[in-house]
Order: sequence, then C-alpha cells, then structure tokens
Amino acid sequence: MNIILEARQLCRNFGGLKAVHNVSFNVAEGEIFGLIGPNGAGKTTLFNLMTGLTPVSGGTLSFRGKTLTGLPPFRIAEKGIGRTFQNIRLFKGLTALDNIRVARHIRTSAGLLSSVLCTRASRNEEQQVEEKAWEILKLVGLAERGMELAANFSYGEQRRLEIGRALALDPEVLLLDEPAAGMNSAEKHSLTDFIREVRDRFNLTVLLIEHHVPLVMNLCDRIAVLNFGELIAMGAPAEVQKNPAVIEAYLGAE
Amino acid sequence: MGTAQIIQNLLNGISIGSVYAIFALGYTLVFSILGIINFAHGAVFTLGAYFTYTLTVGQFGINGLLSGVSLDTQLPFAASIIVGSIFAGFVGVLLERLAFKPLRTRGADSLLALVSSLGVALVLVNVIQYLVGAEIYTFPQEVYGDIKPAIMFEVAGEIIVIRTVQVIIFAVCMVVLAILGYIISRTKAGKALQAVAENQITASLLGISVDRIILFTFFLSGFLGGLAGTLVGTSFGIAGPYFGVSYGLKGLAVIVLGGLGSIPGAVLGGMVIGLAEAFVPPDYSAYKEAVAFAFLFVVLLVRPQGLLGRSLIQKV
Repeated sequence: MNIILEARQLCRNFGGLKAVHNVSFNVAEGEIFGLIGPNGAGKTTLFNLMTGLTPVSGGTLSFRGKTLTGLPPFRIAEKGIGRTFQNIRLFKGLTALDNIRVARHIRTSAGLLSSVLCTRASRNEEQQVEEKAWEILKLVGLAERGMELAANFSYGEQRRLEIGRALALDPEVLLLDEPAAGMNSAEKHSLTDFIREVRDRFNLTVLLIEHHVPLVMNLCDRIAVLNFGELIAMGAPAEVQKNPAVIEAYLGAE
Repeated sequence: MGTAQIIQNLLNGISIGSVYAIFALGYTLVFSILGIINFAHGAVFTLGAYFTYTLTVGQFGINGLLSGVSLDTQLPFAASIIVGSIFAGFVGVLLERLAFKPLRTRGADSLLALVSSLGVALVLVNVIQYLVGAEIYTFPQEVYGDIKPAIMFEVAGEIIVIRTVQVIIFAVCMVVLAILGYIISRTKAGKALQAVAENQITASLLGISVDRIILFTFFLSGFLGGLAGTLVGTSFGIAGPYFGVSYGLKGLAVIVLGGLGSIPGAVLGGMVIGLAEAFVPPDYSAYKEAVAFAFLFVVLLVRPQGLLGRSLIQKV
C-alpha cells in the first residue's frame, strides 16, 4: 500500500515539556488510523504539528513524499489535509451553508479582485461552490438547515457540520479530534458508520483521536498509543489492546 | 421647533450621518479582524481628501514643499474621487505593514499597536503640513457638475433648503454601503473576511491566507476613510492637515455607540450621531461635538456594549 503520510522523529517542546518526542509513524492510503493515549499525551499537539498550527521543534512530516514541516496552515490545507477540533470551532456567526462555502473556496481560483468585481468566471465558480456546499450539507444530514446560523445547532449537529466543512476542502487526509466527544451511545454508533462511509466515498485516509475505546477498536485499522509525548505502541487494535506498556499507561503499573 | 425645522434637521443629520457611517466602517472592519483601533484612520481621511483634490485640480498646493508643482492632467471629479480613495486604500495597506504587522508578528500587546498607529497619524499629519502647508483647500464649485447649489421645497408653509452637495453625499454613501454589504456578505473575499474576523486559526486551516485578508481589510478601511474625507471636503472644504483629527474622534464615538466590531452598528451609530448634531440649536453650534459625546455617554450608561454590540458577558 502507498504511504500517504510519514512522520519522522517528530518533536515539539514547550519550554522544558516534551509534548511530542521522537514520534515516527507511517499512515497508508485509505487507512483509518487511531491515536489514543491518556490526557496530555500529546495527541492534539501532534495534530497541530501536522496542520502547521504549531511549528515542529525537530523532525519531519511529509505528505505523499513532500515535506509539510515549515508550511503555513493554509498551504497545508490546500495540499489536502483537513481537520476538526476537540472543542468545535465553527464560525458561529455564519450560516451552516456559509461555513462550508468558506472552506470550499480553497478549490476556487478567483482572486480577491475578481471576486470583489464579480467577474463572470467568479460568479460561475460561486455557483458551483454553492451547489457543492448543499451536496455536502445533505451528506452530513443538515440540508434542511443550511440557512440557519451554526450557533443554533445542537452539539451533535455542530460536530457533523464541522466534519462537512473539513470535507469541503476535498482533503485526502482527514484529521478528526475526538469526534465522539459529547455524543450519546446511539450517536456514537452511527458515527462509526458515518466515518467509514465518508472514507469510502471520498477515498480518504482518516486519522482519529478518540477516548471512547470501543469506537476506536471497532473503527480503526491500526492504532498508535502515545504516552507523555512518546509513541509506546502501534499496531492492529487487538495487538495494542494486549500490549503491556499500553495497559500500564492506562491503568498504572501493577 | 416647527415641523419644517425638524425635517430640515433630519435631512441635514442623515446626510452628515451617512458620511460618519462609511468613515466609521473603516474603523469597524479593522477592529473586527484585529481587535485594534487604528488611530491613523483620521489621517487617512485627510489624505484621501488631498489626493482627490490634487487629482481634480491638477496641482498639489499653494504652500509647503510642493507648492507650484502641478500634474500634467486633471481627472474629472468622478474619476479622481475613485482614484483618490484607492490611493487612500493603499495608504491603509502601507499602514498595516509599517505600524501593525511588525508588532503583531512579535506578539506585542495590542495596546502597543494603538500607540504605534497614533504615532503614524502624527507623522502623516506633519508630512501633509510639510508638503502642502496648513492652508484650507476648497474644491472648485463645479466639481459635481453644473447643478443648482440648493434644492428648496415647502413644508407647512415654510421653506426647506437642502444643499445639493448634501444630497449627493448621501447618495454616494448609500451606494458605497450597498456595494460594501454585497462584498462582505456575498463574495468569496467577504466570506473569508468574516471567517478571519471570527477565528483566524480556524480560517487558516481552511486554506484562507489570513495575511492577505488583513491587507484586503486595511485596503477597504483606507478606501472608506479617504472617500469620507473627500465627501466632507467637497462640502466644507479641507481644513488643513488636522482636518481629520476631529472626525477621527467622532468616528470613535460612532463605533463605540454602535457597538465595537458591528457593521450595522457603525451605520446606525453614524446616523444617530449625525442626527444628534443636526438637532443642536444654531446658537449652540459651537458645542455640537460636546453634544455628540454627551449622547454617547448617556447611551453607554444604559447599553455598555453599544446599540448593536454583542453583550460583553459572552466574551468571558
């Protein structure tokens, strides 16, 4: 299988704290790759390194063989990496449709000037953007509420909208930061199917941070376990579950 | 106060109020993106008026370093107001690069950006004085073409006089507001601007170059400031390099009254302050500005977040 994402000796220090330390892994195309670990293990920091929000202190990260480290977030997004957040970060003052539209503009070519002057090309493009945005809203089950402000949505709906917004980037890699947080068990169950469906439909590779163990075990092809910024185990869910280092990290040494 | 007098004051108020609105929008746009008040906005207002003046009459000034220097061509007023405002927009862009960006990239406190913009404002005012002197410049009478200087009509047996310039100013401001509203709410650039205003980090993760949007915002802000300066200049003349200072303060009153960062708030605030001033009796017109600020003070006692501002509690 093709390697789509490759981390080599990734490090990030915050003062004396090694939030991420010498983490290396490969993610294959089409894989659903889980990142688990206790709170403060460095999972979200790893996502921030991958999206360019936090500069790396050392190591490299590459996407289809091209280096990502050092690029600003908007360039990384253009290359095809989309993400969602643990604490949802929608544009609450915009409608659901506009939330998706803003992201979809990454796939348009109109510059500032032509968009302001409403040239014919930019109007056509805008039409396509809107159609695509409705399509995505339908996919995440929010088509009837496209014109409502994102702030009015329930927690579960906001999560779905945020995933929809990330999909609007046409990403090849989707990073989901605790997508099941705050969902009830029925919602968690349908989330599993939803993530698989989205992966198949958009040919995605998915990286997933999640605390809900059954969901991770059920959904992921492989799992990496972080503890105190270091990678302590990696492999298929069943193997990882039995790994003594993982049990120790979660339950403490006997 | 008779009916006619009230109508007269209303008309005067909305005309000047519409200029306050587009001027104050320049503050609002920058504030909504960076959370900073750009104190040099008043100086851009002045510069815009001088730019348009120079392009229209084809000469720089009657005093100062540039006295006697003239341009080869004169543009028709309609063209020079657009070009002059575009120049003011580029001054806004320059401001961002010189006064704001260096501090932002170093993570400086936003209070420092405020001081830095105040500094730039003073430099600009002094440069203007050095280049064209402290004279009052008045636009030629015929800039708006061959029109009657005033429109008169009768209400309840009394005559109401509206200067045609006031009507034109109001019309220009409404057109500009409509275009701006369209840009912000309908275009790609406008959506990106809203996204950056709400959250820069999220916007950047969605492929928006925050830096370009900030430049775009400063351009719009400068354009609006320069346009407002020109419009006021055509109505009252350009009253020297300090022309924009008092308008700068009034613009602050407008955005605070309307609610910081709120675009409809800036428009409403501009209209309210314009009207409040217009209703000051002529005998007390020297206290016009005091009335505007007293009004602001009273409104803030009741609504500290401004007329259309979001409640402050949300920000905790």
